Parts: sequence; C-alpha cells; structure tokens
Amino acid sequence: MEVQPELASGEVQHLQRCINDLISLLALPAIWSGGDPSHVLHTLLDALMRMLRLDLVSVRLTDPVGGAPVEIVRLAELRAPMPSAHEICEALSQCSKNDSRKWPPPLRNLMGMGDVSIVPLPLGLQGELGVIVAAAERADFPRQTEALLLSVAANQASIGLQEARLRSHQMRVASELDQQVVQRTAELATANEELKKELADRRLIEDRLGEEEKELKRSEIRKAAIVDSALDCIVTIDHEGCITEFNPAAEHTFGYSRDEVLGKHLADVIIPPSLREKHRQGFARYLATGEARVLGKRIEMMAVRADGSEFPVELAITRIPLEGPPSFTGYLRDITERKWAEQELQRSEAFLAEAQRLSRIGSFSWRVPADEITWSEQLYRIFQIDRDVQVTFALIGTRIHPEDLSVFQEHIERSRRDRSDVQLEFRLQMPDGAVKYVHLVAHIRGDHGQLEYIGAVQDVTERRSSEEALSTARSELSHVARVTSLGVLTASIAHEVNQPLSGIVTNAGTCLRMLAADPPNVDGARETARRTIRDGNRASEVISRLRSLYGKKDPTIESVDLNEAAREVLALSLSELQRSRVILRPELAHDLPLVAGDRVQLQQVILNLLRNASDAMSTIDDRPRDLLIRTEPDDNDRVRLSVSDVGIGFEPQATDKLFEAFYTTKNGGMGIGLSVSRSIIERHHGHLWATPNNGPGVTFSFSIPCRPEGLTSDGTRASRIPSVSDAA
Amino acid sequence: MELRQEGLATDRPLVSVVDDDESVRESLPDLVKEFGFAVRTFSSPEEFLASDCVRQTKCLILDIAMPGMSGPDLQRELKLRGHGIPIIFITASTDKTVRPQLLEQGAIECLFKPFSDTALLEAVNSALHSK
Repeated sequence: MEVQPELASGEVQHLQRCINDLISLLALPAIWSGGDPSHVLHTLLDALMRMLRLDLVSVRLTDPVGGAPVEIVRLAELRAPMPSAHEICEALSQCSKNDSRKWPPPLRNLMGMGDVSIVPLPLGLQGELGVIVAAAERADFPRQTEALLLSVAANQASIGLQEARLRSHQMRVASELDQQVVQRTAELATANEELKKELADRRLIEDRLGEEEKELKRSEIRKAAIVDSALDCIVTIDHEGCITEFNPAAEHTFGYSRDEVLGKHLADVIIPPSLREKHRQGFARYLATGEARVLGKRIEMMAVRADGSEFPVELAITRIPLEGPPSFTGYLRDITERKWAEQELQRSEAFLAEAQRLSRIGSFSWRVPADEITWSEQLYRIFQIDRDVQVTFALIGTRIHPEDLSVFQEHIERSRRDRSDVQLEFRLQMPDGAVKYVHLVAHIRGDHGQLEYIGAVQDVTERRSSEEALSTARSELSHVARVTSLGVLTASIAHEVNQPLSGIVTNAGTCLRMLAADPPNVDGARETARRTIRDGNRASEVISRLRSLYGKKDPTIESVDLNEAAREVLALSLSELQRSRVILRPELAHDLPLVAGDRVQLQQVILNLLRNASDAMSTIDDRPRDLLIRTEPDDNDRVRLSVSDVGIGFEPQATDKLFEAFYTTKNGGMGIGLSVSRSIIERHHGHLWATPNNGPGVTFSFSIPCRPEGLTSDGTRASRIPSVSDAA
Repeated sequence: MELRQEGLATDRPLVSVVDDDESVRESLPDLVKEFGFAVRTFSSPEEFLASDCVRQTKCLILDIAMPGMSGPDLQRELKLRGHGIPIIFITASTDKTVRPQLLEQGAIECLFKPFSDTALLEAVNSALHSK
C-alpha cells in the first residue's frame, strides 16, 4: 500500500503507540491478579486516561459485589469547578440509556465543558455488569484505534471484574468458611476448657474425698486413743447385747482382757448375777418397744469383777447414732471411793450436827448481796423456828429481845456497810417469854459481788447465868475488898499514928501527975516532957512515911498517841461495853498529833469517861445506847478527845458540881472519878469539861497540848511538864 | 529510983506491961508507978512467959497485935497454964469489934490507944479488985 512519507511516519508512530497501549491493556489482568473490583476499575481508568488523553472517564457498576452501586469518575486535571462523580454519572447515564451502538453522540455543555464526544462502553456481554463512559473534547475522538483500545479495555475490565468478583466471592466463601472454622474451633476450645475444668473439679473432689477419708481415719485413730486412754470404762455392745468394744480402763477395772470378753454377753460379764435377769428384760423391752429406762441417764448400780467381787459404778448408756441394728456405748465409772466419800461426808455432817447440838452452836451463812440466809439445824433449834421456814431478817427480828433489837439491827447494817468481822452478844426472847443469851461470831469472805458472812451462834444462856452470878459475886467481892482495903488502910494509918499518940498522951498524963505531986517530981516531969516531944516527932514521921507510901508518884512523861491509847482502852472495855449493850462508835482522827503526858494516867481518864458514859445509859432502853468516842485536833496546837453518851444527863445547874469530889449522880458511885480525871488533865496543862448534848445525854471532853517541838519520843525533855509534887 | 526498986520488993501489987512498941514501954511504967504500983515491962509475950514475974503479976497490960505471939495468944496460954491474971488489953487498932470478944474471953478491959491516964487507972483498979 502506498502512503505519503510524512503522513506515513506520523501514522506509524500512532500505530506503534496504539500497539504499546494495547499490550499494556492486555497486561492489566496480570496486575489485577488477586485484586478486588475496585482495584481493577481504578487501574483501568488510570490507564485509559493516560493512553487516550481523555477529559473524562467514568465507570458505574450495576451489580457490585454485596453493596450499593459503585461509581468512579476520572477527570482531566485543571478542570474547575469539579463536578461530583455522582453528577457526572447521572448525566452520563442519560446518554448511556440511549443505544450505545449509535455513537458518538455529541453532548454539549456537559458539566460546563464544551462539546464533548462520549463513548459508552458496556461491561459484560449484555452490559449487565455496568458501563464505562469515556469522553474527550477533541473532535476526532474517538479515532479508530482509540475505539479499539476502549473496547479491548472494556473486555479486559469485564474479564477482570468477573475474575475479581469470583475471587471476591471465593474469598467471601473462604472467609465464611474460615469464620465457621474459627467459630467451631472456639466452640471446641470452650468445650475443651469445660472438660478440663470438669476434670480439675473431679480431681479436686477426689482429693477432698481423699482428705476426708484421711480425716476420718485420723478421727478414728483419735477416738481410739481417747477410748484407750479414757479413765472411764467404755464398753460398746451390739443389738444382741454382745460386747464389741472393751477399752483398757474396762480391762483394768473388771479384770478381763479385751479378747476374753469380745462377743460375750454384757450381762454375763459385768452385771452381778442378781441383776442379770433385770438387765435382759430391760434390753429386750428396748429392742421390742424402744422404751428406754436407762438410756441417756446417769444411773448408779452394782457391777461385778472377774474375781466375783461387786462394786458400785456410775453408768451412762447412749445409743450409737448409726443406721442398721441398734448398738450402744456404756460409760462406766468405779465410784467406790466417791461412795465412801459420800458416806464419810454424811457421817461427818451427822457428827457436826450432833456436835452443834451438844455445844449449842449453830452455824449460818449470809450472802450479803442477795440477803440469803442459810442456817444449820442447830440454829433453827436455838431460835425455835421450824426447819422448813425461810429465814429472813424480819423473822430473826421477831425472836430478838426487844431491848437488844436496835443493837442487833445496828450491827447488821454496819456489817453490810463495813464488811468487817462481827462479834456480838445479844438476847433472844422465845414465844413463851423465855430469854436466851447468844454469842454470835461471823467472818466476812468473798469479794464485792459474792460477799458472804460465815458465822456461828452459840447459846450461852447457861454460861451467861453462871457468869452473871459470878459477876454479881465479883462486884460484891470487889466492893467488900474496896471497903476492906480502905478499912485496912485506915487501920494501918491509925495504928501507925496511934502508937506515938498513945505515948504522947501517956507521957503528958504522967508529966502532969509528977508535977502535981508533993513535992513535985520535976526531973521525972522533965523526962516525960522530953519523951512527949520525941513521940510527937515520931508521929509526924509516921505521917510523912504514909504519904510517901500511899501518895501520888511523879507521872512518867512520854510521847503519847491518844488514838492508840484510846484504842487500847476500847479493847479492854469492849466486852464490858457490849455486855452493857452499848454501841460503840469510834471516830478517831487520822494524823492526830502526839501529846506529851503520862500514858497510863490519860488512859485512866479515858476509861473513866467511858465508864461514866456507859453507866449513864444503863437505864436507857427506848433508844440505842450509842457511845461516841472521837479524837480531833483542837485550837492552838491542842488535841481533843470527847466521849458522848445518850444517857440520863444532868441538870444544867449541876455542871459546876460535877467535878467536885464525892459528887455523883450514880447510886453506887463514890464521885471520885471525875475530880481525879480533872486533876490528871490539869496536870497535863489541859482542861476537862462537860456539855449537855442537843439530844439526850452529855459530852465529856478534854483538850491537852500537843507534844512540844523538839521533844524526843522517849520524853527526855519532859521537864517542861511540871510533876505532880511541883503542882501540889 | 532506988525507992521504987525497993517498992518492987514491997507489997505493992505488980503490974506487968507487954508491948512491942518502945514508946509504950517507956511511957507506961512511969504512969503506973505514979498510980502507986510496982511495974515490969516486956517487949513480947515470950519474954514475959520466960520471966519470973508471971506468978507475981497482979495485972497484965497487954498489947493485942504483936509479932510472934499476939495478946490473945498469951491470954489463952496463961489460961492453959492456970494463971488467972487479970488482963487489960491495949491496942492501936480502931476496930471496936474486938473489944466485946476480948471481954467475953475474960479480959478486964480493952483500951484503944491513945487512952487517958484515968481510964487506965480505973481499969487497973478494977483488975486488982476483980478477985
């Protein structure tokens, strides 16, 4: 074929380029391999834009894989404003609806462009896959080679898309398959885990079962050890009464070995022949009716040893709580010693009761918080109250002598308060009017919550009456003795004085007779006068000798603790005061300063004041005979001791006379005490005085100076206190 | 003195004094002599019994309380020996109850010291005239 050279060379270049493009398009599937449809379309559109110098190319897939239609648009660069892909596709779809074979239909002013030639390229045999639209402003578009390239590209794209779709489908299937596999695998894994867990659980349970089994075994060993080492005999029997267990204590107690007795009937082994029948009946009754007379109780019975000797046992039988035929455990204890101790106790109690009866001593317990009083039998006897009566203080009060009731109640209250030991004598008055004297001693024990007095009450009526007789005799005797000794003193004074007096009188008489004689015997008279003077001197010597013999001695001055001195006196007088039914209330001050003085003399004063107070109340029966003794520091470094009674008192105008010698309000008194007391106190630079109380009775007080500073405890500087002879 | 010693030998009745108190033994003899009697003194009953005056004594002035034998002891002893000497008891004691007892036992008088010279004279006279 003949062609012009210039044209021919341009044509050749175009064709060469066309063939290169064709080769590129044919190579595309290799690039697409493994890609998805979107990848296929992008690479295709890029290639077409580059090869055909297009102004626009778009693709629209009608049936993209699993989703909405895919629209892709490529525009030549520098075109503005850029229409959206959707707008372009909408415009192109209008023209693509036309018969695609009648191309190129020119489109005008498409998207602001000038005249554009458009080539629609259906994808798939019937365009069922979609359509590619290529467009260019060039008038020669599409040239023949370009149309060829476009159709090859459309074919290539259809194939590529089909493959990609297939691949995508395969991938989806594969993925679904994978997922199913994964799911199934997961399910399997879960099942596997569960199996493992179950296995582990089972192993755990097995382990636990093993532990329990071990524990059970240990428990059995322990139990066996307990049974073996128990001090009590432990014997188990089965439902037929045959021995199934016999522990070492049982072996020891009954004298059988375990092997000897296993399988034998219990009744034949340890129950004395006399009781066997009873045992068998009871056992049979239980098996038949379930009625148990001994089950779960502690009973005492006789048992028999292998050597035939019988002894008392304490027995407790329990049924072993297991399924099947009943079996029993019996706990037996040899109570020979306990029985013996019980008998001894009973015997000892009987002894005690008898001893209490004979000695007329009853004992009691008083639990203070609850006011619970328990009496021994003898105490009921002493009070003449029936044994079954509940003892209360109210009841006791009905038996106490009316005159002693207030003292008794006072002691009870004080015991409740002070928790000190009690010692008290008082009288009882029986319903028939008989009076009993009783002596009560009680000791406190226990702590605050469990405070309890344990004490004894002795009926001392007989002793008391003999004592009273003795006391009367004694006081009479002492009176006689006092009078006698006074008489003896008087006589001895008289005798001593009368001897020289007798001489004086005789001599004087003789003298007068001699002088009256004729002639007067002057020498004789002189001699008798001389003897008269001598006897006069002898008489005065006698007087001074008597004074030194019977006169007061100088007091011994020492440091004296008045509290201690008072306590000593109280201790000496306590029993006498109690006998006089005086209730003593000491209120001794703490840290009382010492005084300097004659301890014994001061104690005589205290004793005297106590006696006076007690005597002043001897006829008082309508109120407690309260006696208050109090020590306290007084003004100006002095110490005061006072004694208050609730006695008969004295007339106010008698106050001055009280301390005079021989003044007394007492029937039997001499009235010396107070005057002596006052002189003792005055010798201690103190004073003694009496004041009527606001209520009944009198308070006697003395006040003496404290020990001077610097006085040593042995009283070496006692010279500051003048002696009696100095004061006299 | 000589005269009075002589008087002892004369028919003047002998009055004996037994007292352990020296002042009595000193003063009483002078008074008794003034009464006109012969007198001998002894410091104890034992001394009197041992002397040769027992038979001659017409009146015994006797103290009651003395160491050793007492006055009443001597009275009993003398009665035992058959000597009925009239006795005047003297005593420094003030116990008046002894007097009736002593009188009952046969004493002439019981004088309580100090006694007057006239009371003694009366007693001695009644003693000497008691027989």
